[in-house]
Amino acid sequence: MSARLAPRVDDPASRGFFELAANGELGVLTCAQCSTRTHLPRPRCVGCGGKNLEWAAVVGSGRAKSWTVVEHQVHPLFPVPYTVVLIELDDEENIRMVGHLPGRVAVDESTEFVVDFEDLGPDRNGNATVLPTWRIATDNG
Amino acid sequence: MDDRWQRDVCAIAGVGQSAFSKYSGVSVTALAADAALAALADAGIDPSEVDGVVRNDMDLVSCAALGDAIGAGNLTYYGEAGPGGSGPCAMVAQAVAAIMSGQAKTVVVFRSLNGRSGNRFGLSAELDPVIGGAETFTEFFGPYGLLSPGIFFALIAQQYMNETGLTSEQLANIALVARKHANNNPTAQMYDRAMTLDDYMGSRMLSTPLRLFDYCLETDGASAVVVTTTERAKDLRQPPAIIRAVAMASGPRPQPGQMYPVLMRENPLSMPSRYCAETLYTRAGLGPQDIDSAQLYDCFSITALLQIEDYGFCAPGEAGGFIESGQLEVDGAMPFNTSGGHMSEGYIHGMNHVVEGVRQIRGHSSNQVAGASVSLVTSAPPPSTAALILVSA
Repeated sequence: MSARLAPRVDDPASRGFFELAANGELGVLTCAQCSTRTHLPRPRCVGCGGKNLEWAAVVGSGRAKSWTVVEHQVHPLFPVPYTVVLIELDDEENIRMVGHLPGRVAVDESTEFVVDFEDLGPDRNGNATVLPTWRIATDNG
Repeated sequence: MDDRWQRDVCAIAGVGQSAFSKYSGVSVTALAADAALAALADAGIDPSEVDGVVRNDMDLVSCAALGDAIGAGNLTYYGEAGPGGSGPCAMVAQAVAAIMSGQAKTVVVFRSLNGRSGNRFGLSAELDPVIGGAETFTEFFGPYGLLSPGIFFALIAQQYMNETGLTSEQLANIALVARKHANNNPTAQMYDRAMTLDDYMGSRMLSTPLRLFDYCLETDGASAVVVTTTERAKDLRQPPAIIRAVAMASGPRPQPGQMYPVLMRENPLSMPSRYCAETLYTRAGLGPQDIDSAQLYDCFSITALLQIEDYGFCAPGEAGGFIESGQLEVDGAMPFNTSGGHMSEGYIHGMNHVVEGVRQIRGHSSNQVAGASVSLVTSAPPPSTAALILVSA
């Protein structure tokens, strides 16, 4: 794909995710008090209600929980077919990320994914815009 | 549970709809007025008696604009509920609350949209090259091509298939029964278009595993109902559809944002309809065995299927077998979307399901269930949901 649909990276609720991505890390909001992960980000910890939450790097691998091959185009920047995957992170409980694969990709519940980071260039305010992307893991990682 | 709910205090006294089409050629306010005036005429209430209006939060028509269009009097109550398709039963619930608290006596509840010629849900509205922010959280979804409700529900459907073994041939029954019912309903958009299993299986794949005929229609149209006290409704033109119970539910930890964040819930398949059903049946003093027809929100086939389990018509994970055993037919255990619903009557965002629930109570459905006296009507899950039960006098 050429032109990309970029994420807004400067929203107060989610900018920490993209700050970590710019460092090549996959971030999940994590409670400094009880260590519970909170994804999507929330103003209070979903485990203990605490307010002291920090974006912390988590493992950049996971497994497909669900998937769809999109055959009907709904957006000019996303030519069909493409595959959308819901990925459950390894070593975490119910933390999921969404991945995009061009084309019709055969995926099942055993398909393993690893994260990459794609630099989309700075936004109009000069903020780095780096998108965590997912590819199917191969034997050599 | 809090037991202060009061059964049977309010009723739906009138129902009305505009024509359903792919191109109305008129404003959404004009459509809303058509539906509201039809509902008032049905009830035998003069528009000047309307003192309350409840709208959907995604409607383009304000309560005041509708009041103005139909010649309502001074509105002493106006409200709205949503989000979107989760709204209609909650909108009726709000009308009930307004009446029971003494803020209004004659409340019009409506939904109006040019869903095909105006704003289309099937196309992404996010054409800005940067997506997300403002706590929509679409920055976590849009950049990966998750850009429409159809793609979201395809992921839900695939997970359900992974976990239960549901097949496409089973899922087809939702669309096939809806179409069969629409073929008896002269006002349905698909009235004159029959559908076979081969038609369904041969329809275009839009987002696997969902085909064209797993999707609802795109419709220009409006539906409205008039809510008043049961005591008053009994003296009006039509037999009242008494509101036995209403319920709304967010479910626990529903996630921020709207539809796509549901994928990040503890279990993406756990819909708020399960919680809504519990509240609704408790308030009604009724259960799934008492329901004569189920008008279930069906933006997609899978959306309706999940609710069949959540509202207790079959055990969790067993809806595939349930729907292929004829239970959705008029003479089955759960007569389903007897107007054709969103998939074959028209997509009025859940409001036409309320109208059909009333028709069943009156005995006026084009797919009438013999002796029907209890209607279940639901609105969209997710992100939140609402439902109601109507009974005859």
